[in-house]
Amino acid sequence: MRKGSKVSSNIIMTLVTVWLLIPLLATIIYSLFEDWTGIIPHGFTLANYQKIFTDTAFLTSMYQTLLVCVIPIVITILVVLLGLFVVTVYFPKLEKYMQILCMIPYTIQGVILSVSILILYAKGDTVLSGRMTMLIGAYCIIILPHIYNGIRNGMRAINMNMLLEAAEMLGESKLKAFFKVIVPNILTGITVSSLLAVGLLFGDYVIIRNLSSSNVNNMQKFLYQAMKRSSAEASAVFVVIMLITFAITAIVLTLQSRSTLEKIRNGGK
Amino acid sequence: MAYIHFEKINKIFGTNHVLKDIDLDVEKGQLVTLLGPSGCGKSTLLRCLAGLEQVTDGHIYLDGQEITDVVPRRRGIGMVFQQYSLFPNMNVRDNVAYGLKLKKLPKAEINQKVEQMLDIVGLSEKISQYPAQLSGGQQQRVALARAMVTAPKVLLLDEPLSAIDALLRKNLQIEIRRIQQQLGITTIFVTHDQDEAMVMSDMIHLFHEGKIEQSGTPEQIYTRPATKFAATFIGNYNLPTAADFNRAFHTDIPGQDVAVRPEIVTLTKQAPKAEDGLLVAEGTITSHISHGNLIRFAVEFEGGLTLNADVVYENKLDFGEGDRVFAAMKKDLVIGL
Amino acid sequence: MEHKKVKLMTSRNTRYYYLLALLPFVFLVVMYELLPLIMLVIDSFGLDKKPEVRFSLENYQKIFSTLSYQRAIENSLKITLISTVVGIVIAFLGARAAYTSRGKFRSVFLTVLNMTSNFAGVPLAFAYMIILGNAGVIKQIANMYGIGFIQNFDLYTSNGLTMMYIYFQIPLSTLLLIPAFNGIRQEWNEANMLLGGTNTHFWMHVGIPVLLPSLFSTLSVLFANALCAYATAYALLMNNFSLLPVNISASFVGDIKTKPKLGAALSVVMMLIMCVVILINNFITKKTTKWESR
Repeated sequence: MRKGSKVSSNIIMTLVTVWLLIPLLATIIYSLFEDWTGIIPHGFTLANYQKIFTDTAFLTSMYQTLLVCVIPIVITILVVLLGLFVVTVYFPKLEKYMQILCMIPYTIQGVILSVSILILYAKGDTVLSGRMTMLIGAYCIIILPHIYNGIRNGMRAINMNMLLEAAEMLGESKLKAFFKVIVPNILTGITVSSLLAVGLLFGDYVIIRNLSSSNVNNMQKFLYQAMKRSSAEASAVFVVIMLITFAITAIVLTLQSRSTLEKIRNGGK
Repeated sequence: MAYIHFEKINKIFGTNHVLKDIDLDVEKGQLVTLLGPSGCGKSTLLRCLAGLEQVTDGHIYLDGQEITDVVPRRRGIGMVFQQYSLFPNMNVRDNVAYGLKLKKLPKAEINQKVEQMLDIVGLSEKISQYPAQLSGGQQQRVALARAMVTAPKVLLLDEPLSAIDALLRKNLQIEIRRIQQQLGITTIFVTHDQDEAMVMSDMIHLFHEGKIEQSGTPEQIYTRPATKFAATFIGNYNLPTAADFNRAFHTDIPGQDVAVRPEIVTLTKQAPKAEDGLLVAEGTITSHISHGNLIRFAVEFEGGLTLNADVVYENKLDFGEGDRVFAAMKKDLVIGL
Repeated sequence: MEHKKVKLMTSRNTRYYYLLALLPFVFLVVMYELLPLIMLVIDSFGLDKKPEVRFSLENYQKIFSTLSYQRAIENSLKITLISTVVGIVIAFLGARAAYTSRGKFRSVFLTVLNMTSNFAGVPLAFAYMIILGNAGVIKQIANMYGIGFIQNFDLYTSNGLTMMYIYFQIPLSTLLLIPAFNGIRQEWNEANMLLGGTNTHFWMHVGIPVLLPSLFSTLSVLFANALCAYATAYALLMNNFSLLPVNISASFVGDIKTKPKLGAALSVVMMLIMCVVILINNFITKKTTKWESR
């Protein structure tokens, strides 16, 4: 490539980076100062953070966020693992349909999914109409594509059928062999896709707003309410949310780069 | 001045001095091979000629004109890369026609030239297939057609056969040589495979660590390596130190080391008749390896010297491990380095 | 022989026995994906005011004849299209820049893209209010120095919203395009140069055609991403700005009187728009990838 294109590449990357960082950095700085009316902010303070971390409502929202993230992910992983096992080993003809079912949520996304679940269950009075049940059901569906892809790609990478046959010859039943041999082998893939799912659920606002009652709050909902009250307080909530998001992304990236490194190493042998 | 003339070419990547004062001439119509291990600078020199790399210092002349700073597309050079160089979104016809279309030739002429060239490389029936539908060897032949159809002044081949399996590679070597001679196109060929270089070239330039180690015809390079590196890289030379060799064979080859091709060593059970210029020593066979038609014996002599000797396999082995044998060779075939 | 036959029989039976393990998946998908969607479509033909009516097209007629719903569709399409097109152009330039360069710039760029790829919705709207809201940090700086176009910029309009949508489209689309660029081989451009082509020739005849399938699939992801986005718009403008997702949500959950059947019809319209985009995308993908076939 020519030198000129290198310079223009760096200019483009710098511009985009700056554009993406401005709102983030500005809000972080805003959360750390008492007053920012000129160019330079005044009065460094951690009071905003002190305030939210002593607010039980905020701590409750953190706890509830964790809860509504973890439960659906565990359910979906188990359900997809079982389903994919049966389908790939015993009914390969069903694979296509399973894939279509798992990809539909990509196109309907949060708004339509949440209102259609409302239509179906809101009026009833069984367990299914519980606010929490509806929320978890919706969350399971919204993360389905990610979990499915993660597990599916993992299975493809390890030549599952051969491993299962080998285990069977050693006298294991296929189902047992699946959980003993296959699952540990695709654990990185499962971890990465569940972290992506955590990121997705962690950022959800519309589903939880439409489906949950007012006493169930995730951090996004809390941020929304906080910014109506005071932007100083909300800016601290914002920073906490972003830090958690970054942490999740960082873990995903390290896991992914480690697994590609492993692949390169194994390929080298 | 020669058709292609490199003058004191230097190329430095960061702290890596890849080409050191290279002077090289290529005559019109010849097929010249740059041979050497990977990282020796041979590909870099080729890419400098193509204009894909800028030389740090030096001058390149092509057909009497300096082209050192000319952009690649005005150099009139065709090139075939290692692999994957075909445009994947175009079928064979469009790939080959690409350069002609850029020259804005009339459509009928383009079609005629493309078909003619595909006929030469033997792929006429694949004209409307896409690269992904072709085998590796077919892809390289299309790449060859694409590079030659614009009638470049020079054709550059950058290890074009390295990704192709052995049997097909042999056929393509012969075929490329045939096409090159048929069209009389000046060609520079880069490879790390000495057999390939021997089969195809008019001239070989052996590269080592950014310098030309030796230049010559395939025969000269094979029979008369000028340095220890050349002898290591070409053939299967025995390379004992001169001291060890002279002691065992009671002779006086000059230099540090001695290069002995295994096929000039003859083994016999009885001592051969003494002759002028015949070196003889007695040793013990320590191992033998079969290479199909050749058996390679390792013979150990007094003082710890071991030489390999190739014997054409006729129908039975005359000796086995532990046998005492006489090794003999003509002195003038032994090279002192 | 007899023995073998018996064994085969049982192994076939256990095969169907394994279908039981598929039940949880089927249950989940039927209960929370298929049935809700079917109900949504059925409900869209009912009427909010007359529960006895089972099939009527009145909701759809209303949607396409009432100005406020027309505006919702129009606004949604407009913001979606603008943010998608601008997003893909910036992503193209960004991914190409990442493809041509190595080293520090590139790794910082990639890190920032990954870090901001989940930055959307309520937090994004909030951050923009902090910098460009009425008392926003950048707004104040612009006031001090009299930078007109920032002073006059009103975040709480469709322009402000479009700007935020563009923001969240950029990391996503760039990250989707970078792998496609990595598929472009250096040899192609070198061959192009030696055959007499310029950089422009290369991108016109090889680069862009090779990228086209990825460009179109990225476009459709961006389109879905923007069309269905709710939180960003709601956090900024609440129900005061007409957008399909906002209107849909408001007709089910809200302070004003809810109209679930009409909301269902709006949802169906939105799904249809998505379907059209997917069909167009599939059609173009088929057209542009015929050379990939083996």
